[in-house]
Amino acid sequence: MLKNLALLCGAALLSACGASSLVVSGSYPSPNVGQMPLTLGVYYDEELRNFTYVEYSETGKEEYRIASGQTHIELFDTVLPAMFANVVVLNDLDSAPSARVDAVFAPSIEEFQLALPQKTRLDSYEVWVKYNMRLLGPNGEYIADWVMTSYGKTPLATLRSTDAGINDATVGALRDLGSSFALSFDSVPEVREWLAAQQ
Amino acid sequence: MSSENRTVTGTTRSALQAGLLMFVGVVLAACTTTTVDEFRQGETGIESHESIVILGRRQGSSYETREEFVDCVGDRVARGARGIRVIPEKEFIDSMFPWFEPRTAPLRTSDLQTLMEEQLVADKIAEYGIRYIIWLDGQTETTNRAGSISCAVGPGGGGCFGFGSWEDDSNFDARVWDVSSFANVGTISTDATGQSYVPAVVVPIPLIARVEANACNSLASQLQQFVNGD
Repeated sequence: MLKNLALLCGAALLSACGASSLVVSGSYPSPNVGQMPLTLGVYYDEELRNFTYVEYSETGKEEYRIASGQTHIELFDTVLPAMFANVVVLNDLDSAPSARVDAVFAPSIEEFQLALPQKTRLDSYEVWVKYNMRLLGPNGEYIADWVMTSYGKTPLATLRSTDAGINDATVGALRDLGSSFALSFDSVPEVREWLAAQQ
Repeated sequence: MSSENRTVTGTTRSALQAGLLMFVGVVLAACTTTTVDEFRQGETGIESHESIVILGRRQGSSYETREEFVDCVGDRVARGARGIRVIPEKEFIDSMFPWFEPRTAPLRTSDLQTLMEEQLVADKIAEYGIRYIIWLDGQTETTNRAGSISCAVGPGGGGCFGFGSWEDDSNFDARVWDVSSFANVGTISTDATGQSYVPAVVVPIPLIARVEANACNSLASQLQQFVNGD
C-alpha cells in the first residue's frame, strides 16, 4: 500500500516537472475556389509528418512539446483536392513518374514561433509559422519554390486551459495558411508561368 | 415548533430571499450605463425568406471581437415577434472558406462587390438568402482596478476581508452592409460602462455589473429594429 502510494507520488512529481505534450487537432473546411484540371502529387516528408515544436522556459527547461505534423497533413489533404482535379499522395519523390502526376508539391515548415500570455503579458496566445513550399516536375525538376507565413491567435479566456489556447492558435494559423495558399497559389510568378504552359 | 410557526418562518425566509435578490438586482442594474447611437445611411427592410449574418472583425492586432459577443447579438436579433433569421457566424465562415478569414475578409463594401464577382461566393450567399452582412467591431476593457481582498484559513475556519472594485467599458460598432446594393446602410454604436464591486466580510459578495451583456441586449434590439426598417 505504502509502496504504491510512494510510486504514485513519484509519478505525480515527475509529471509536474516534465514538459507538457500537446498534439494539435482541428478541422479545416474545404475551400471554395476554382479547381484546376491537373493531377498533383503531394509528398509529405518525415520531418513534416513528425514536426514537433518545443517551447522552452526562461531557465532553458522544456515547457511544451507541440506536435503539429499530422494536423498540417489533414489541412493539405482538405485544401488540395478542392484546388486540383486529382491529388495523389506520394510515399517518396521517386514514385512521381509512375503516378502520372503533372507536378509534385512538397511543403515544409521552416520556423514555428509561439507566444504565451504568461510570457508576453498580452491577452492572447499567438502562433506564427514560416513555410517553404516547393513545386517540382514529375522527374524532380524545379518549377517553383516560395515562402509563406501564417499567423493565428486566440484570446485568453477564463475557463480555457493553456493547451486549448495553444491548440486554437495553431489551428487558426493553419486556417490562415490554407486560405492564403488556396488564394495565392496561382499568383506565384513561377507557378503562374507553369500553369500557363499546362493549358 | 408547531407547523404554523414553521410556515411563518418559511414565508419570512422566502420574503427575505426575494428582497435580497431584488436588492442585488437593483444594485446590478444601477451599476451599468448604456448608450446606443444609430447613424442611418440608407433604407432598410427584410423579407421573411431573407436572412442576415453577423460577423466579428478580427483584423486588429491589439484586440479581436469576441465570438461569444457575436453569438449573443445573433441570438437576441433572432428572438421575438420581429425576430430575423440569423446565419451562425462559424457556419457561414466555414462554408465561405477562404473568403471571410481574418486576412481575406472584405474591409469595404467595394471589396464585397469584387468578392461577389466570384461565382462560388455569389452562389453561397444566394443559397443562404443573405440580405445584410453586419460587421461587429469592438471589445470590453477593464480599467480602474482598486482595493484588495485577503483570505485566510485556520484550524477554526476561514474567511476573507477587504474590498475590490473595477470598471468595465464595452464599445461596439455594428456596420450594416446591404448585399443587394453593396452599400453601407448604417452604423449602430453602443457604449456600456459599469462599476463592479466585491465587498468581503468573511464571505466575498461579488456585485458584478453585466456591462457586455447590456451592450449586447441594447445593440441587438436596435439592430433588429434597424434591419426591419422600423
